[in-house]
Amino acid sequence: MGTELGAQGAGAVELVNLTIDGKAAKVPKGTNLIEAAKSVGVDVPFYCYHPHLSIAGNCRMCQVRVKGAPKLDIACNTMVREGMEVSTHHTSPEVDDAQAATLEFILINHPLDCTVCDQAGHCKLQDYHFDYNARPSRFLEQKEHKVKALPLGPTVVLDGERCIMCTRCVRFCDEVTKTSELGMLNRGDRSVIAVNEGKELNNALSGTVVDLCPVGALTHRNWRFNTRIWFTKETDSICPGCSTGCNVKVAIRDQQVVQVKGRLNSAVNKEWMCDEGRYGFMRFLPQKRLASPLLGGAGTSWEMALRESKRLVGSEALVMVSPDLLLEEYDILKEFLTRHMPKARVVLAYRERTLTEVEKVLVSPDYAANFRAAEFSGLVQSVSGDAYESALKQLRAGSVSHVLLVGQRAILPEDCDAALLAGIQAVGVSVGMLTDAASGLASVLKVALPGRSILEKSGLMVNRQSRLQWSERVIDAPLGAEPEWRLLNRISKECGAALCDATNDRDLSLRILGKDTRLVGLSIADVKGSLLSLVGASKGIDLKSYQPRQRTVAADSAGSQPAV
Amino acid sequence: MSAAAAQRLTEIKKRYPHPHSAVMSALYLAQEELGVIDQRGIQWVSEQLEMAPVHVQEVATFYTMYYKQPVGAYHFQVCRTLSCALRGSKHLTEHLKKRFHIKPNEVSADGKWSYEEVECLGSCGTAPMCEINDTYFENLTPEKLEAIIQRIEKEKPELRLSTLTDSLGDGLQGQPKSEVR
Amino acid sequence: MGNHRQILLKNIDHPDQHTVAGYESRGGYSVIKKAMGLDPLAVLEEVKKSGLRGRGGAGFGTGQKWSFIPRNSGKPIYIVQNADESGPGTFKDRLLLERDPHLVIEGQLICAWAVQSNFSVIYIRGEYGYPYIRIQRAIDEAYAKGYLGENIFGSGFTHHMIVHRGAGAYICGEETALLNSLEGKKGQPRLKPPYYPAAIGLYDCPTVVNNTETLAACVAILENGGEWYAAIGTEKSTGTKLISASGHINKPGIYEIEMGYPLLQFIEEECGGIWKGRNLKGVMPGGSSFPILRADELAGVNIDYESLSKAGSHVGSGGFMVMDDHTDMVEAALNVAHFYAHESCGQCTPCREGGHWIEKIFGRISKGGGLPGDVQLVESICGQVAGHTICAFGEALAWPAQSFIRKFPEEFRGRISEAREGRVISRESMNADVGGSH
Repeated sequence: MGTELGAQGAGAVELVNLTIDGKAAKVPKGTNLIEAAKSVGVDVPFYCYHPHLSIAGNCRMCQVRVKGAPKLDIACNTMVREGMEVSTHHTSPEVDDAQAATLEFILINHPLDCTVCDQAGHCKLQDYHFDYNARPSRFLEQKEHKVKALPLGPTVVLDGERCIMCTRCVRFCDEVTKTSELGMLNRGDRSVIAVNEGKELNNALSGTVVDLCPVGALTHRNWRFNTRIWFTKETDSICPGCSTGCNVKVAIRDQQVVQVKGRLNSAVNKEWMCDEGRYGFMRFLPQKRLASPLLGGAGTSWEMALRESKRLVGSEALVMVSPDLLLEEYDILKEFLTRHMPKARVVLAYRERTLTEVEKVLVSPDYAANFRAAEFSGLVQSVSGDAYESALKQLRAGSVSHVLLVGQRAILPEDCDAALLAGIQAVGVSVGMLTDAASGLASVLKVALPGRSILEKSGLMVNRQSRLQWSERVIDAPLGAEPEWRLLNRISKECGAALCDATNDRDLSLRILGKDTRLVGLSIADVKGSLLSLVGASKGIDLKSYQPRQRTVAADSAGSQPAV
Repeated sequence: MSAAAAQRLTEIKKRYPHPHSAVMSALYLAQEELGVIDQRGIQWVSEQLEMAPVHVQEVATFYTMYYKQPVGAYHFQVCRTLSCALRGSKHLTEHLKKRFHIKPNEVSADGKWSYEEVECLGSCGTAPMCEINDTYFENLTPEKLEAIIQRIEKEKPELRLSTLTDSLGDGLQGQPKSEVR
Repeated sequence: MGNHRQILLKNIDHPDQHTVAGYESRGGYSVIKKAMGLDPLAVLEEVKKSGLRGRGGAGFGTGQKWSFIPRNSGKPIYIVQNADESGPGTFKDRLLLERDPHLVIEGQLICAWAVQSNFSVIYIRGEYGYPYIRIQRAIDEAYAKGYLGENIFGSGFTHHMIVHRGAGAYICGEETALLNSLEGKKGQPRLKPPYYPAAIGLYDCPTVVNNTETLAACVAILENGGEWYAAIGTEKSTGTKLISASGHINKPGIYEIEMGYPLLQFIEEECGGIWKGRNLKGVMPGGSSFPILRADELAGVNIDYESLSKAGSHVGSGGFMVMDDHTDMVEAALNVAHFYAHESCGQCTPCREGGHWIEKIFGRISKGGGLPGDVQLVESICGQVAGHTICAFGEALAWPAQSFIRKFPEEFRGRISEAREGRVISRESMNADVGGSH
């Protein structure tokens, strides 16, 4: 199944030499021809194959010619062998014909209703037909008619006529969630995907089947007929819902999230995504935007707000930190505290929850997307919920004199009850960096500075498995809302000197990649994995095994960094 | 579903290395008692064999011998494939259509009759032929078929194969159960 | 029965042959007893020497198939008898199951001893109610007599045998579909590799899948020796074959012939010639999954693997379907196309979509809606189905369709042009309700 090309190991991986369209490839034994072709830049088209599902071999799109074989082989189910000579559609007219024919077959009963199909614009039928057939159909007969617009459950709706019977959705529910809601009923060209009568496709990962559907047969109920995908801006980023760090693609139109897809990363989320993360993506944005500073709940100038914030300096403040800031921000917060508030006590908002069996497939038991980065930065030591709960208790008891809240979720939304707000109101010096003017915190803090949500800035995240990943800004923050790192920098400047001279997120990322000895040798591109565009390959960097490529003089200071 | 059916299924399950292998027998049992495979049967099989209901339904809809719609007490299955067609199976179908005033897969108003065209039943040497419930009637002509219908009306023979009792109905007196040789 | 040696059918007409007493009275179960005195590998060797090839359709060497079974995999070894006889024109296994079921059981036991299997299944098509009862009763009797169960013949060898009923799906005759069906899944074929039954078969264990007739033939092979069997028939087509003869002949039925028998002579002498005094137009000699041969192609053709392959068809399952010169080949092609469209499992694209497409085109031509280019279109579809599917159903679907249009192009073209020219001739169709609808 999933193959990590170039997988590092104890040298146990046996490599196999073969040629694909005359190009020499060297890949681990057990690699199939789709992945092997990808490794030399040859794209073999497919519908039913998925590197993290069992091989079905039913779509017949990935046929290739293996020299010496009696007929064409399907690349998904053909493993590399030493000396194999493979021709794809690029070099074999026979393969080219077979793929054109496959597309013609797939489309004879397809309604060709692209004009009203949500998948249009990101549909593999459209793309492949354009690339591999692009001829008019010779089918003159009546098409088969099947179910239309049938909800399979609360999240997904089926168009039976668009379905190409690749069974990715069925296999996902059988093999990954093990909930087995879906099946392929009937046989022949009457086949149709269905749930059992009275049952629903309703599991924690149900929306994933829409991502897996290569055509428009399965669509999201709540995003149907929302937009043409080509009017959106799609960004590859990381879901901040928990510390799994699912790789996602987020489509934005008119400052609204209009679709979220899982993105393939073998080492993290395969291509799966949970419904809570997907359909709840907007929850990371404020209901009512705080776009300018507040003083005692009322609007004020930046000068006034920053001057007031300076009162924290030197105090034994309680610093409550949001678990979804960037690694760069945790790092600079640590510097800020070292320089200006050395006696401060830092607490990261963290709480675990109980997961269902299906959630355990993917979801982490927290809502703390980047807590590992906070640990990695040395800002906090091994995070647990205890410190957070006891800090809340102190706040509620009114026994705190100075408090700094870094990030809207420095106090989790469910904890912002009246007792807590009253407790914060009683604190002598209280400063918060918030995004939501509607949250109770904004009115009880002495100073509220307008921050940004994790969706509004770019930088580094470290997931629960200590994988360093790149989180890209998916939506623009309004004028006035500043990333937390810049707010810290401005306060520091107010105290005499800035912490750094970064002017944007990227400067800050380069700064930490340049100065942290554990990250030496990495570029942003390395972390993004954009150079590793292999299907099924892992993106991001596993910090547990990463060997810095060069030692620098600053290596001495590494000792002070906690191990991850 | 009866306790006897559950008991029988338990016996059948034990024969196989894996209980899921009994799903086809289980569906036969359900059909025998319910007359049709509907949600009641699917649920029963699913519970008895600990299979996801949709996978039971997949099996039920894959095979032609599980009836998703009710059939008549006597369900005529006329073989339409080549050897039978070459020897006039079409005339059998046409006779049934006229005789019962129904279309394929419809049930006569009295619930007695239904018919359909089916694919090769392995009776090509004795074509044309018709299977009624689970019993073969071979070397037919429309006239012979009519005579059989009249006898069925009168004698009400048991033509079914019972999974519950593992037996085939006695059929029509004097009528061979097989004419293959 | 001509001069043909009767091996499989030699006792078939004894009215008590289906009972264990009748079977025993004619030497039944003595061969397995003898075989179990031999080393299992020696039994396998005899079967190999016999040159017996699978009688279900593919014609793969039986001994060779058994020899692929790994003996020390640590997994149980299973035998599955493929009695899902559903290919149009084939009804020979039904006869064995009904009339000589103990022969089938004894053959299966020989295989069980050879590969040292303790469990086997007879997968019988669901429609075979009466054959099912006969084979099931025979198994019950064999258990009662100690031929099945534990410690057979006091040897310490255990073998259990059960019957599993199908439920109406031709594709389950494909061996991996059959295994899926037996495991309680839809009868859809598995990918090869990795699912070669000998290595990864029933419940992922090594499995022999053999046709009923193949296993039955093993009894005579072990009785008389592999060399004796190999001497019958031709060099590469040894032994006898059951031919299911049907269609426009005077004496349809099941004939056991020695391989290599001249085809035209078979029609004349065994089948009693073409009915109604008509002439021969074409024969599908190996069931509907292999190409039709025209009357003028049959001179010198014998019924054996080499000769029929050379003639462009196959022995297949021996489903010998004869068509007289009144046969409308457009209708015949439509009839066969409907069968494959109806029976496609729907798993892979070319077969699922191509089968119905071909049927619809033939249906259109038959109803006077044919278009110039339709024949080439069918040819092109067939070319893209055969060889492009998960299992051999793709070929089974494409080859006959292709053969009808290649062998009788003038009938298809004629039908198309008469429709184009508006001179539609009213014909009686052999088909009732087919041609595009389900």
